[in-house]
Amino acid sequence: MLRVRNLSVGYGAEPVLEGIDLEVKTGEFASLIGPSGSGKTSVLRAVTRLLQPLAGSIELDLEPNDIGFLFQDDALLPWRTARQNVALGLRIRGNAVKEAENVADHWLGRLGLGVFGDRYPRQLSGGQRKRVAIAQVLALRPKLLLMDEPFASLDAIVRTRITQELLAWVEQEHMAVLLVTHDLEEAISVSDVVYVLSQGPRAGIRARHEIPIPRPRNLLETRRDPCFAPLLTTLWDDLSAASVTDDSTQ
Amino acid sequence: MKRLLDHTTVRRVVALLLLLALWETASRLNWLDPFYAPAPSAIGKVLFSLFAEGQIWTHLEATFSAAMLGLVAGLALGIVLGFVAALMPLLAQLIEPVMILLNAIPRVILAPLFVIWLGIELASKVALALILVAVLIFFAVYSGIKEVDQRLVERVRTLGGDRRVLIREVYVPSVTAWIMGSLKVAVGFAFTGAIVGEFVASSRGLGYLLQFAQSSYNAALTIALITLIMAFVIVLFAISEWLERRLLRWRYV
Ligand SMILES: Nc1ncnc2c1ncn2[C@@H]1O[C@H](COP(=O)(O)OP(=O)(O)O)[C@@H](O)[C@H]1O
Ligand SMILES: [Mg+2]
Repeated sequence: MLRVRNLSVGYGAEPVLEGIDLEVKTGEFASLIGPSGSGKTSVLRAVTRLLQPLAGSIELDLEPNDIGFLFQDDALLPWRTARQNVALGLRIRGNAVKEAENVADHWLGRLGLGVFGDRYPRQLSGGQRKRVAIAQVLALRPKLLLMDEPFASLDAIVRTRITQELLAWVEQEHMAVLLVTHDLEEAISVSDVVYVLSQGPRAGIRARHEIPIPRPRNLLETRRDPCFAPLLTTLWDDLSAASVTDDSTQ
Repeated sequence: MKRLLDHTTVRRVVALLLLLALWETASRLNWLDPFYAPAPSAIGKVLFSLFAEGQIWTHLEATFSAAMLGLVAGLALGIVLGFVAALMPLLAQLIEPVMILLNAIPRVILAPLFVIWLGIELASKVALALILVAVLIFFAVYSGIKEVDQRLVERVRTLGGDRRVLIREVYVPSVTAWIMGSLKVAVGFAFTGAIVGEFVASSRGLGYLLQFAQSSYNAALTIALITLIMAFVIVLFAISEWLERRLLRWRYV
């Protein structure tokens, strides 16, 4: 579904990441973990063509319209209501306003925000804004969902709840996912495969691990799976090795 | 009474009335020279007679038309130039230095030139109000567009939005917010332009009357006219505020 080969991205001539190879197969849930500043967001921006790669290729066997992007922050249009924000993508794709807003209401309802359609973003809590952002993306029925640390700003309770819901949506809509995160436990509990980034500058993929826990997942139960703890240790070692090697070269 | 005094507006009105009462008393007790500081009642009488005798209307009309035409034209010109400069970098290289220069000078110094070019009638006053407003609004729009939240731009682009959608969904609303922030200042500028234009050369208008009042050392008429202009600006401020709350509803809900 998505194949990234030998990708280099950066701002100006100096690459932030170099020689990135990763793949997300149909229906697969992949995560990319790395420390802050290693270039995770930059990879997603390259995949969505917001950032021109310095080198390498990004192969997608789907239309650009089939990609959904859930951003790190929940910046919604402040001058549009929740309903209008969700309807925006549909309207851009040619739906009439009325029709788009009906679909938007439907998705807001499915995300438990049925009564908040008329509210402006500043009238919603962080968790509610995040749900609106999710509705905005899901309403477009993407086949590949890109997520950039989507829940980093939420408190633990809301975060667990929304992540669990999102997992259910991923199963129901048969989406392939590329999740970017710095949270190892989150990556292990939700993904089929985890890519570990080394520390930048010129970060690269340091390791790839398959997570042999059956899907659908339950966030709390996966943590009790016998392979969870050993995987966590391995990933930790990979990540810290990545930073140590890098420190020594500086 | 105490409940009533909790309202800011009520407190302000009470303070104003107290000040006027004090002023009036001071005048009646001859503590103030009526040649320099006539009593509020005397000023009120002048104001009343201005309207009662009906001569004020033609002056009001002149100043008001100049200010309003200048305001509307200045808004339009500032918005167009701001968008053009922000979206077409090549033209920005031409427009920006001119605007920076116009912004740096006290623009009222252009008044004599406008009189030479456009005559002593309405046109020269409109032009001065226009240039005062247009430069202000240009910078509101230009910097408004340049400082648009890039996260919103990226968001709309990943949803599939092209340039047209971006302008409609992101640029226009965020620029509206900037313009509304400058609207009150623009109203003040429009009146400054109209009245200063009338000072320089005119045959009617509040600026012309003020000029006349000053040359005949008529302090009561001068203060009456200033009061009148203030009253108009306060009304226009209220309208601006109402407009702002309507257009920027998302900010006030
Ligand atoms: N717009 C930008 N211009 C210049 N440098 C940037 C920009 N965005 C990110 N960077 C740099 O690129 C590196 C990777 O950033 P980012 O992809 O946001 O990392 P992450 O998402 O892993 O925290 C950082 O060192 C950051 O300073
Ligand atoms: Mg990031």
